[in-house]
Amino acid sequence: MAARPWRLILPMLLAAITLWLWALAGMLFVIRWNSVERPGPPVRVLFPYGEMRVGVDASYPPFAVATADDLFGLDIDLGRAIAERIGMPLRFVNMGYDGLYDALKADQVDVVISALLIDSSRTNDVLYTLPYYNAGFVLVSRADQPLTTMNDMSGHALAYEFGSDADTFARAWLRRIPPFETRPYELPTYALDAVRLGEADAALVDATSARLYLRDHPDWDAPMRYVSDSLYAIAVRINRGQTWEAVNAALQSLINDGTLAEIMRRWL
Amino acid sequence: MPVAFIIRFLRRHFLWLVRAVIAAAILLRLSPAPPRAPLGPPQTVQTVKPLVCVHTRLIDEVYEWKIQRSLQLVREMGADTIVEFFPWAYAEPAPNQYDWTSFDRIINHARNQGLHVIARMGLVPAWARDDKTGGSTTLNYLPDKSFDDFTAFVAAFAARYAGVVDHIIIWNEPNLSFEWGYREVDPAGYVRLLKAAYAPVHAANPNVVILAAPLAPTLEPPGSPNGLNDVLYLEAMYQAGAAAYFDALAMHTYGFTDPPEAPPAPEALNFRRAELLRAVMERYDAPDKPVYITESGWNDNPRWTKAVRPSLRVAYTINAFEWAEANWPWLDKLCVWALRYPISTRSYPDNFTLLTADFQPKPIYTAIQAYARGWEHNEDLWLPAPGD
Repeated sequence: MAARPWRLILPMLLAAITLWLWALAGMLFVIRWNSVERPGPPVRVLFPYGEMRVGVDASYPPFAVATADDLFGLDIDLGRAIAERIGMPLRFVNMGYDGLYDALKADQVDVVISALLIDSSRTNDVLYTLPYYNAGFVLVSRADQPLTTMNDMSGHALAYEFGSDADTFARAWLRRIPPFETRPYELPTYALDAVRLGEADAALVDATSARLYLRDHPDWDAPMRYVSDSLYAIAVRINRGQTWEAVNAALQSLINDGTLAEIMRRWL
Repeated sequence: MPVAFIIRFLRRHFLWLVRAVIAAAILLRLSPAPPRAPLGPPQTVQTVKPLVCVHTRLIDEVYEWKIQRSLQLVREMGADTIVEFFPWAYAEPAPNQYDWTSFDRIINHARNQGLHVIARMGLVPAWARDDKTGGSTTLNYLPDKSFDDFTAFVAAFAARYAGVVDHIIIWNEPNLSFEWGYREVDPAGYVRLLKAAYAPVHAANPNVVILAAPLAPTLEPPGSPNGLNDVLYLEAMYQAGAAAYFDALAMHTYGFTDPPEAPPAPEALNFRRAELLRAVMERYDAPDKPVYITESGWNDNPRWTKAVRPSLRVAYTINAFEWAEANWPWLDKLCVWALRYPISTRSYPDNFTLLTADFQPKPIYTAIQAYARGWEHNEDLWLPAPGD
């Protein structure tokens, strides 16, 4: 009777050790395989039309705006930088927001760079790259009384745009933490004015509004902290995995060498 | 030896293994109950402005309670009609195999809230798209050979929902290339589609009103790869014989940065562009053929180049209703785009909605509600600008 537990445990232990050894060998193989430098696919495979066609809705500054004969903005500069890094000629296709995903699906464009929020309901149709911008909500407060999280708001006055998603966000936090005063304004810039002029302790606004405001008020030293994430990314058609890899790698290199940060500074 | 060991192991612990399998099966089936949305007592809409209508976006809602809540808020706003999209691809995934589940839950809740539904039909299933180009056609690509299949679907829809849905729009904005499956736009081709649908859909529901598709407000010139000017397109439709194949015309008319009273002009995209389209109708069609504006409104994004500030959006929208009521006797409904999006885009399209994705009413919702229900609306919704 005393030997029985060993008759059960020993074979199981041996089987487990064998399995772990196989798994370890597999992992080492994958790591080695991935570390081998291989030439990428030729660019004609990545971009069969001989150019990188970028879908954009150029009506939304500072991301993309059209003039009579040119496009400019953060997304435009980003598209140019990626095309340059990949080594492809570039063509922007300006269209309405509603048509962006259809254009990708119908192979009218190769990628979409147009302040696109990563949308989980689209992931059957598109591949998203790394995010390149966070358009989430930020808290902007005064330097002498920094408020960096929503938990800090209890007992303070919060300014925001009435009826916006920031309004909903603030109301949700009112149910979670001890109360704070709510100060709704017509525009996000008014909410930021309220903090700067002492009518509120913090403003809850989207990051783009905050960055543009702070750029226009360089003398105002106001801490800005993210309290939610809304990530913009580049979309590529689902069956263009190699194109996605190339665009993603180019974007990663722009992040690594500071080019993306430089583009951000230019527009925000 | 190992085989004998396994057999012995199984024999000895068989009962426990069976218990473990049963327990795992029970645990796997345990999940939170889906939120319920039972139909309550039938409701009626209280309104003093029957022109008021809103375009909803319910078809992609996962949760039925969100459909119900949306339609409750439509009723409470004082709109007795919604416009909603009913995608063919959702209801007929294979030829002649209908699945009405997602449509039924919208129609049942609309009926329960006392709402009429104007149904916009489109979105082609893969089997009807003639997809010979490596899957690069869009869901808006409808080849001529599939017109009869599309018509059969619309007729089945019309018969099933007669009484709640008595207005059906055939397609959407066919004057845009992307809405025409990324082909060159083709007014005569669209008229062939209208002609194919007209008689069978009327046979399925004798009370149905067939609406010709709303055209996108655009100034694209002939030959543009993107589309064709809506006024020119409508004229070409009539020249192709469209008049006999629709009972009313749907229109899309957005104000962009202009107030609603801004005069129409061929080179201007504004609210009263509807009058240019109406002028074409009056040249070619019966004088009593009505119009339904199925999308309209202003956007109040702080950065979009075609937006106005929120207070102007409220004023322009209410003034637009008043303008239409006073000056457009040919208009049956003026529907605002859009009640709510299922999820936020975190971009300017969000600023067309009346409610946030979390059902938070925006100032525009409150203003339309006061207008439609005849309430006073003097409430200050926001504080004055700092420093004022």
